[in-house]
Amino acid sequence: MPDWGRTTLELIVQELQRPVRVDESFDRRVMVRVRRLYAERRPRGAAGWMGAAVNLTRRPAYAAALAAGVVAVVTVGMLRSSHPGAAVGAESPIPVQFVLVAPEARSVAVVGDFNNWGLGDTALVAENHNGVWSVSAPVKAGVHRYAFLVNGKQWVADPTAPRAASDDFGQPSSALVVEGTVE
Amino acid sequence: MQGPDGMESSDAALVARVLHGEVNAYGALVSRYRDKYARYAVHMLGNREDAEEALQDAFTRAYRSLARCEDPERFGAWLFRILVNRCRTSGARRVRRSQTFVHDETALLNASQEHPAEQTMWREEIERALGELSADQREAFLLKYVEELGYDEMAEITGVGVSALKMRVMRACDRLRILLREVHSA
Repeated sequence: MPDWGRTTLELIVQELQRPVRVDESFDRRVMVRVRRLYAERRPRGAAGWMGAAVNLTRRPAYAAALAAGVVAVVTVGMLRSSHPGAAVGAESPIPVQFVLVAPEARSVAVVGDFNNWGLGDTALVAENHNGVWSVSAPVKAGVHRYAFLVNGKQWVADPTAPRAASDDFGQPSSALVVEGTVE
Repeated sequence: MQGPDGMESSDAALVARVLHGEVNAYGALVSRYRDKYARYAVHMLGNREDAEEALQDAFTRAYRSLARCEDPERFGAWLFRILVNRCRTSGARRVRRSQTFVHDETALLNASQEHPAEQTMWREEIERALGELSADQREAFLLKYVEELGYDEMAEITGVGVSALKMRVMRACDRLRILLREVHSA
């Protein structure tokens, strides 16, 4: 029986503040949805907004080829874009988003063989979102090398991507595979 | 989820890991806020099914918009704002579907072995009274007294002015007192 010596409001609040426990299967159900979204956001041939060149981890053969310094041929026939049903030509660049978590950085840019390593002001300048720097760029299908240029002078390889076998310019760089699929 | 140093990861650290492609780190955020926010959704919507659906939607929408979370250290507050909106939408759908408020599932959800039958009855009475409030009053009451938010925070979350919120809370309190006194004097 409620203790009527206290105010009704206090009793109501006390009761409503009791914890409500949700079955642990709830976590699994949420994560199923989240992983589905994650998969949808990483279209074939391009890394999603969560990281650059992550698709290499799903293509260990490519990673092995790069580690051995072998240039893999990955484009065959037509490419499939991120939009279902919209086929693009093999030469069509595919949007790739590069992300680097660097809360202390003052600036971040992306340089790679696809933009002539930033020569002639071609570096991709990333935008800062609370320490998460990101920039998108169209990249042709194939195997590429790239790196982040932090504060205009420090080269940083992508910590989430395999290291390229031979570092260009004597600096660390990462491997990116923009893959295509046969129609 | 613990970080590399073995310490519990902050919200900001987990958000950064998710944004960097470590999707499983989001599971730690789900576990961290699941029960806490389930309480609000259950009391607001009055039944477990709608509450869990609203909560799932909130987590999914938060994940989808994670890059737009302006202050990852306050991920929880940002998520809660999304949940409050989802509860409003879900509540509106439910009202259109049926004008009756479901009380029993909420009571059963929280009834546990250590609560005697009288305590469970008291809880049911409270849930029933809560269901008698308008959605606006119920929302304001829960945010103020159960979630213990300040009026400024409530205004930020709901988009409603502070004076209007104070009025809603006052009316909700008066109504609850009347409804529950009626029960006990009957």
